[in-house]
Amino acid sequence: MPDQTRNESFEEFKNSFAYGSRTDLNFKFLAGFPDEEAGRFVQDLLWKLGDVIDDGQCDRIVEHVYEWQVHAYAGAGDYAYEGGPFTPLEKPLSQSRLVLMSSSGHFVEGEDPGPFGVKNMTQAEAAERILQCLRSEPTLSAIPVGTPREKLMVRHGGYDVRGARLDPNAVFPHEILLDLEEEGVIGELVPEAYSFVGACSQRRLLNQSGPRWVRLLQEREVDAALLVPV
Amino acid sequence: MCHVSVGHVARLLEESGIATVVVGIRAFRPRLEEMALPRVLITPHMMGRTLGPPGDRDRQRAAVIAALELLEEAEQPETLVDLPGAYRPGGDQ
Repeated sequence: MPDQTRNESFEEFKNSFAYGSRTDLNFKFLAGFPDEEAGRFVQDLLWKLGDVIDDGQCDRIVEHVYEWQVHAYAGAGDYAYEGGPFTPLEKPLSQSRLVLMSSSGHFVEGEDPGPFGVKNMTQAEAAERILQCLRSEPTLSAIPVGTPREKLMVRHGGYDVRGARLDPNAVFPHEILLDLEEEGVIGELVPEAYSFVGACSQRRLLNQSGPRWVRLLQEREVDAALLVPV
Repeated sequence: MCHVSVGHVARLLEESGIATVVVGIRAFRPRLEEMALPRVLITPHMMGRTLGPPGDRDRQRAAVIAALELLEEAEQPETLVDLPGAYRPGGDQ
């Protein structure tokens, strides 16, 4: 909790949502804004909340957060490439073997990847260790498609996992893909889908984990991959 | 960072002969664009709800189908398509 013996500044308040005393990964982006801009976000949020009180229409609140999220992350990243590889899908999808991979941080109950040797790490602890996570090699969890929701765990220090916990298909659409396989849209779904925590070392991903994962999927005779970041 | 990680996985898979499609949210569109990925579907969704709101199976399914169509139909690299519509709260849980 914030230090109660002195007044907290607005800067400290807005920054506290990003891995601070009020960690809330939906709103960690506030820390990236100058005070005036973050203040405008809060002011507009409250104004729209006033409208909701009158008409009950909550969509405007969601839209407000969405637009600011887009605004906050609008900058370019650190990995720009000139062109890249392109593999055409050789067969129709209805004859292809498809795999699902997500950076959602899901795993099957009882098969916790145990990051940093910690058993049963909580979501809060994962958020506290985000910097350590960003320096580490990611671990891939194999998840049988169709795993019941109550057996599907999720933990990730980079995003708010409540939606992914409530309904894994929001970021790990294994049930939807099973339906599409049954309907014949997909030739064959690889029986194991995969998930990892995407907040990881890019160097280790590119040099160590990534090439291993490629070999794994080649062994699984995969034609195509549906990749879902969070 | 998740979008970049998945972008890197996509590039590695494509190099090895596995076709990929990445589904990303609009907030990370610039980061995905600059990675020169073969096929990207951009959804107008919130972080941590890439395919749609929890419980909104219709919305999620529409996103998955649009991604799979892109997998089949993209004829050249760096094909980026926007999923129309908007993120909606609720849905059928």
